[in-house]
Amino acid sequence: MTAVETPQAPRRATEHRPERAARREPPRWLAWLKRQKLASYVILLVFAVLYIGPLLMLVSTAFKTLPEFFRNPTGMPESLRFENFTEAWNEAQFARYLVNSVVYTTVATAVCVVTSVLVAFPIARGYLKGGRYILLLYVIALFLPPALIPQFQLILNLGLFNTRAGYILLFLVNPIGIIILVNYIKAIPRELDESAAIDGCGYYRFVFKIIVPLIRPAIATVTVLHAIGLWNELVLAIIYLTNDDLYPVTRGLIAFEGLYGSNWPPMAAAVLILMMPMVVLFLFLQRYIVSGLTAGAVKG
Amino acid sequence: MIHRSYLFARGWRSATPVLLLLPGFLLYLVMAVGPSLATAVYSFTDATGIRGIAVNWIGFENYDEFLLRGAASRDNIAALRRTVYFCFFVTVIQFGIGLVFAVLLNQKIRGKKFFRTLFFMPVILGVAIQGLIWKLFLLPRGGPAAEFFQLFGWTSELLGGQPRQAFAWVIVVQIWANAGITMVIFLAGMQTIPNELYEAARIDGAGKWQLFRNVTWPLLTPAVNTNLLLNIIGSLQAWQLFLVLIGYRPGTQVLGYLVFAEGFGQTSGSVASAFRQGYAAAASIALFILVLVFALVTHAWLSHREKRYIG
Repeated sequence: MTAVETPQAPRRATEHRPERAARREPPRWLAWLKRQKLASYVILLVFAVLYIGPLLMLVSTAFKTLPEFFRNPTGMPESLRFENFTEAWNEAQFARYLVNSVVYTTVATAVCVVTSVLVAFPIARGYLKGGRYILLLYVIALFLPPALIPQFQLILNLGLFNTRAGYILLFLVNPIGIIILVNYIKAIPRELDESAAIDGCGYYRFVFKIIVPLIRPAIATVTVLHAIGLWNELVLAIIYLTNDDLYPVTRGLIAFEGLYGSNWPPMAAAVLILMMPMVVLFLFLQRYIVSGLTAGAVKG
Repeated sequence: MIHRSYLFARGWRSATPVLLLLPGFLLYLVMAVGPSLATAVYSFTDATGIRGIAVNWIGFENYDEFLLRGAASRDNIAALRRTVYFCFFVTVIQFGIGLVFAVLLNQKIRGKKFFRTLFFMPVILGVAIQGLIWKLFLLPRGGPAAEFFQLFGWTSELLGGQPRQAFAWVIVVQIWANAGITMVIFLAGMQTIPNELYEAARIDGAGKWQLFRNVTWPLLTPAVNTNLLLNIIGSLQAWQLFLVLIGYRPGTQVLGYLVFAEGFGQTSGSVASAFRQGYAAAASIALFILVLVFALVTHAWLSHREKRYIG
């Protein structure tokens, strides 16, 4: 219907106010630019340099010796030396940090996703009285004040400060994940529930054997969203973990920076080591990662 | 507790959904909603970060000290103003760059996938890696950025320079890190615009600029709204890149960093130090109110604008 109306609307406007028609015309230089795809490429390439530049600097620094770096920070490395990588790996306990990060991320994400499905399913189906208000409580969460300080007092008083359990406890809920799951489950036909119930399938079995496989894309999205946020978390790791043995990679990296200061070559190697898995994962799971990181946004 | 429409086994077993829901829901109440609301309560106390020390109710003293009478109140107001500046520049520039990326990458162009991947990639790296990458890039002596500015005869300490300059660089990194999200949301919005509209407009003789002005832009309204709100809220609360890039430097602090520094220490937490968590809670409520006001005003303005466009 709008397709029919829109061509008329501007015409009427131009009859009454001719000066607006003039304003609709693009500036001439802009019109010229638009005709050339060339302009698009130039703009994109300029930005590409801004995006690649810092990464290139990182890679080239990781292959330099310290004197070489001080002599010429910006230039290319003289040869491909891998000592920095081994030094970074051995000096800081990155193997341990990685194990920690993997433990935190998998445990917390698994618990979060499983409990989220169990919250989202009955709400989406309307199987609970007041389910709508529960959902509302999850939506409102996005507009509540930060929980930082009382959360700290809670963990402190539970005696879980500076423990793995305490740190994991911080990452077990994800309101956006619930909202994504509820919306997805709503699209699955209810007849499925009916026939399963008639066949005598129990609730538990129905959710995990029938619903979970059907909502796999939503689960992937929530998993990726939650796992990335957790893997990259720095501030909570700084606040809650003071013991070097418990650090995740982000915190370990900042600790390494504190020790190594301006000794950039091993620093750069360390950053690269920790960055590579993320980049590789991103290249493979791009679809889920992009949808995960924007899904919550587009809904709002 | 169970709704009439519940289909599965009745009797005692009908409690199953509730029992299975409870762990997630209780966790949510205890770890998120409860602490969130308690922030307001804590802001009226003199709580510290030490276990076992009595917490006293002190009324509005924290707020009074934070905004009006405290020795640091002037700095706090400056931090508040800086938070708004940060929000303004990040929102405007990131919105613009994200839109340009999306418009350019929504046409038939070579290397489209490469550019999209490249521009989105920083988003997944997290502040620690983002910050360290730029700290290296912005090396004041001989680093690539410094060398580049040298070409124009401009020497600078970059991140170590004047507070205002360091602050500006954090804005740059913040945008570099997050413009990818803005771009992706715009692209998603553009893909919902039906092609027929473009064809119809083209038949009416519309040029590229007119297509954008009269078709893309109005129909992009939902994505515009989302991006504006996200950018504004996100940048008001952002402070972690400050931590990684320049630390707690006078003249650069924003509200979020202030909360962290008062509550947990300036750069790294240490056990049982006498940090002022009640005071920090008051600061975080101040930030929360700022975010709320900005979000509500923006939302009102956007729905007004939407009515004008879509009706």
